[in-house]
Formats: sequence, structure tokens, C-alpha cells
Amino acid sequence: MSDHDHSHGHRPPAPMVEEISDFEILEIAVRELAIEKGLFSADDHRRFTEFAESIGPLPAARLVARAWLDPEFKKRALEDGVKASLEVGVNWLDPTGFGTPSDYTDLRVLEDTPTVKHVVVCTLCSCYPRPILGHSPEWYRTPNYRRRVVRWPRQVLSEFGLQLPPEIDVRVEDSNQKCRFMVLPMRPAGTEGWTEDQLAEIVTRDCMIGVALPHPDRKVDDKRPVHPAVNPVHH
Amino acid sequence: MTKRSHHAEIATGKGDPQCFSNTTSAPSKFKVGDKVRIKELPDIFYTRTQVYTRGAVGEVAVVTHESPAPEDESWDNTDHSEWFYIVRFRQKDLWPEYPDCYANDTLQTEFSERWLEAVK
Repeated sequence: MSDHDHSHGHRPPAPMVEEISDFEILEIAVRELAIEKGLFSADDHRRFTEFAESIGPLPAARLVARAWLDPEFKKRALEDGVKASLEVGVNWLDPTGFGTPSDYTDLRVLEDTPTVKHVVVCTLCSCYPRPILGHSPEWYRTPNYRRRVVRWPRQVLSEFGLQLPPEIDVRVEDSNQKCRFMVLPMRPAGTEGWTEDQLAEIVTRDCMIGVALPHPDRKVDDKRPVHPAVNPVHH
Repeated sequence: MTKRSHHAEIATGKGDPQCFSNTTSAPSKFKVGDKVRIKELPDIFYTRTQVYTRGAVGEVAVVTHESPAPEDESWDNTDHSEWFYIVRFRQKDLWPEYPDCYANDTLQTEFSERWLEAVK
């Protein structure tokens, strides 16, 4: 056996991670015990993990773009969100056949008008229309957002850069039961003649939560600034 | 393999809350446009009715679906279903300091029927 030099790029064997949290150990223990006891198989778990890793906001953006272009589709989306989701490739029953935990199967599309702006929150926890919109952003889950947006919505929206004039009424939707909500924002000026693909590109996740408005020049949600805590927890 | 749960059995192919369609013993008590007040009920074990809505008067915006109330469902008591309603409130009626210049701002959230009483 010749000397094995590492100039070609292989690294010596080493642990994948340098530390592990109690919760990660707990997850491994519970998962392995559940598989051992036959509650589900490792293959079931893999398929569910793949589903959770596959969801994102693109189908919802396409729903909005298509609603902007096709009044009949918009009517269908407003009448039955779960049925309309199928038209953008989302089956709310996936992957279990009866839906996913905490997402349920009753999507409601909230249509913004020239006089009403919707914004969605779950004050109790952080319920979110995951099958069509993907995972919720971290800020959506914080008590900071959940407690404040119901009571001071315009102040919280202006922290997101969205200032609304008094002629536009703000309507907060607190999704506290099984219904899940996404916002259908107004189509912005400057998008005349655009295709569905072009329109879908500017409908970001934050637009469908209700804290941002779509803009012809903006395709991604800006990273939220992270500040050191004023009163940090000391261990 | 373990036997499937009761919920998996009734909801497969239908979804939840669809699996509870047509399970209430009475038609919905309220309809869109009805004025309702949120009752104060004992909630010591579990509730999804926010404290900030208790005693507030709003208007039914949507009649959504039938389902066991969360106060029952969280303890696996799913024998009885209720109709659920999205009720819309004026923000001025929920928060004392809500500014008058935004008098038309609203908030809507969902309640099972047991939490609502008619307002004349």
C-alpha cells in the first residue's frame, strides 16, 4: 500500500459535529424508540423529513400571480383555498393523506383591497400555512411579533418598512384555530403586461404574511437586522 | 406495526376539519353579519380564546367549519362538534389607546360556538 498523502483533498476521518444539544439527543432517542416499537418506520420518517424540507413559498407566490391575471382563478382561490392550492401543485393532505400536524386543511386567502390591508399572526403559538408558504420566519414566532402586531399593527408594520396612510384600514387576522391564512396583496403598478412567472417572482413570503407589499424591483425578503439583547440572559 | 390512530382513520383522504363535516347536532346558531359578544367561560385547563377578546362585541365575518372545540379536542374528547366563526372587531373596541384616526382598523379571529352570545 503506497503512502496516502492528502494533497488530493481528502480529509482524515473526523466527527461530523463537535457538539450536540440535549434536544438533539432527545430527538434521536425518541425517534429510534418509536421505530423500534413500530410506531413508524425509518422510511416513514425519511419521507416526512423530505416533505418538511421540500416546502417553500413558491406555490403561494404562483397562486397570487395567477389570481392577479385570472379573475376566475381568484374567485376559486377566495372560495376554497385548499382546492385552489391543487392548481399550484400543493395538496394539503400530503404526505400523510390527512395533512400535517398543526397545519390542518382549511386555507383561507385574504384579499387586500385599495382600502383594506391584511396581516396575519398567531398570538397563541405561530400557526402558519406551511404546505403552501413553507416554514415561518423566526421573527413570526417571537412573542415580540405575536404580542405587538395585534395591538399596535401600524407601528409593527412600519418597523418592517411598511407605512400605510389612514385611508387604508389595517385588518389583523389572528389565526387561533384550524383555519390557516395567506394574504393576496394588491398587484403593484409597473407590472403591466407581465407574465405569471414574472409576477410570481416579486411576490415574496413577507408579502403573503402581510408585512410587505410586492414591488416590481424587489424579489427577496431582506434579512432582518439582528441586535444584541438589551437585557441578555446570563447563564 | 402499531394500529393507526382514530384520527388517521377518520381523516385520511378528507383532512381535518373536513373529517368533522356534518357532525354537529344543530345547524350553525349565527350567520355572517350577526353581532356577537365573546363570553367569559372557565378555561383553567386549555383554551384558544384569547383573553383580549373576552367581553368584546364583534360581527361574524365568516362561518368556517365544524370541529370539536379545542377545549375538548386537546383532551381527545372529540365526540361533539361545534360550528366555528371568524368574528371581526373594531380595534378601538379591543384596545383602550387605539388611535381614533385609525377608527376603521379591525382585527378578526376565530371562535367555536360555545364562546359566542347574541347581541341585540
